[in-house]
Amino acid sequence: MKNTFVETASRQKSRFSVLVAEDDPLTKRLLEKKLKDWGYTVLKAEDGNKALKTIKQPEVRMAILDWMMPGLEGPEICSKLRQSKKPKYTYIILLTARDTSFDIIQGLEAGADDYMTKPINFMELRARLKTAHRILELEDNLIKAQKKLLKLATMDSLTGAWNRRTILSFIREELERFKREKNPFGLLMIDLDNFKNINDSYGHQAGDAVLKNIVKMLKKNLRPFDRIGRYGGDELLILLPNCNIFNTGIIATRLLEHIRKNKINFRHRATLSATLSIGGTSTDSISQPNLVKLIRTADRALYLAKKLGRDRVTLFGDSIKMEAKEKKNARKEKR
Amino acid sequence: MPEKKNAETNSSTPPIDRQEVLERIGGDEDFLKELIDIYKQEFAEKAELLAKAIEEKNFQVIREAGHSLKGASANLSLPALREAAWEMEMAGKEQNLEQAQKALTKLKKEYQRLLEYLG
Repeated sequence: MKNTFVETASRQKSRFSVLVAEDDPLTKRLLEKKLKDWGYTVLKAEDGNKALKTIKQPEVRMAILDWMMPGLEGPEICSKLRQSKKPKYTYIILLTARDTSFDIIQGLEAGADDYMTKPINFMELRARLKTAHRILELEDNLIKAQKKLLKLATMDSLTGAWNRRTILSFIREELERFKREKNPFGLLMIDLDNFKNINDSYGHQAGDAVLKNIVKMLKKNLRPFDRIGRYGGDELLILLPNCNIFNTGIIATRLLEHIRKNKINFRHRATLSATLSIGGTSTDSISQPNLVKLIRTADRALYLAKKLGRDRVTLFGDSIKMEAKEKKNARKEKR
Repeated sequence: MPEKKNAETNSSTPPIDRQEVLERIGGDEDFLKELIDIYKQEFAEKAELLAKAIEEKNFQVIREAGHSLKGASANLSLPALREAAWEMEMAGKEQNLEQAQKALTKLKKEYQRLLEYLG
């Protein structure tokens, strides 16, 4: 590489900022100039403590750290950053004047991704930064894909409620908590009245829109920690943490009235009225509650609500517990 | 990987390898001038710091200042100054005051030679 060449400045700006942590002013200026020419936004630090503070900033995704600096040394910064909870990955290149293999291993084990020895060969640095770019982009795409997959795997695509599997697993988790902490929770099973008629009169797209909007309206009337999921076609499940049978009834009634009183959009500027049937239960009204018992009890309550003429809330407990309560009351009356 | 520059440096080799440093910075002569100015300022500061550190037998400072001067010299392709700075760093590491004194004399001599060369 003896030929002199003139590099052209990169016109394309990198979306990643680079931290240059270097106490030697000449090396720092050299790095700054080259990185700016290549389209990077450069942040600078002259000592280890400032470097650690700067590297934690979210926009800093790449860092060139000098090994030996006043305050903290390069490898210390690496290991401190890796232990921190910075959400996005930062690619670190350690700069060292030492070049024994022991140092290299120590640097990499501290969490550096790459290292370079001084004097800096800038062609090499540029190529290494391209690698950094590629790895950061892979990482970002992976995180994006994971988020998307998680959403696909847990959400009901039509209504935006949790899907059946996920709402059931939330109920299981809440049951575990109930066993430990004895804090009751409620469960509602909701069915849209005459949903078949809506589908028959306005078409399935209208039916879908109604379902979607009802979920939206219910969500607005729930507490932030309540969970709503789609159980089947037009059946919804709502998990109400921290509710005994009494609170469960209050919330169910509120939801029922809200849907009854408000018009539901099903097409552009077209609305209709709808009502719900709600069956509810809670862990304090069932003896040794488990998932099957809870669902079955809510389902029976819903069935009765429909049978009694729809547009109402019915609450059920467990017959054994109810009988026990009645016997207890009967004994009291005898006395 | 850059080659190791352990070759003997003597008064006949130029104090700065202009071609090498220009290659490294992409042939930008103006930028080279700026870097030389930064180096001059840095050298003046570090030489003063080192003289004081030798007086106070502060080997930590001797080592650190020697180290950072070594890096600067290497990046500017100043082989003789780099070597002298390396000797300074070693003197700090080994806590050898006599060697530090020698390295400082050498640094100043080589720096003078650089200034004369640059004109």
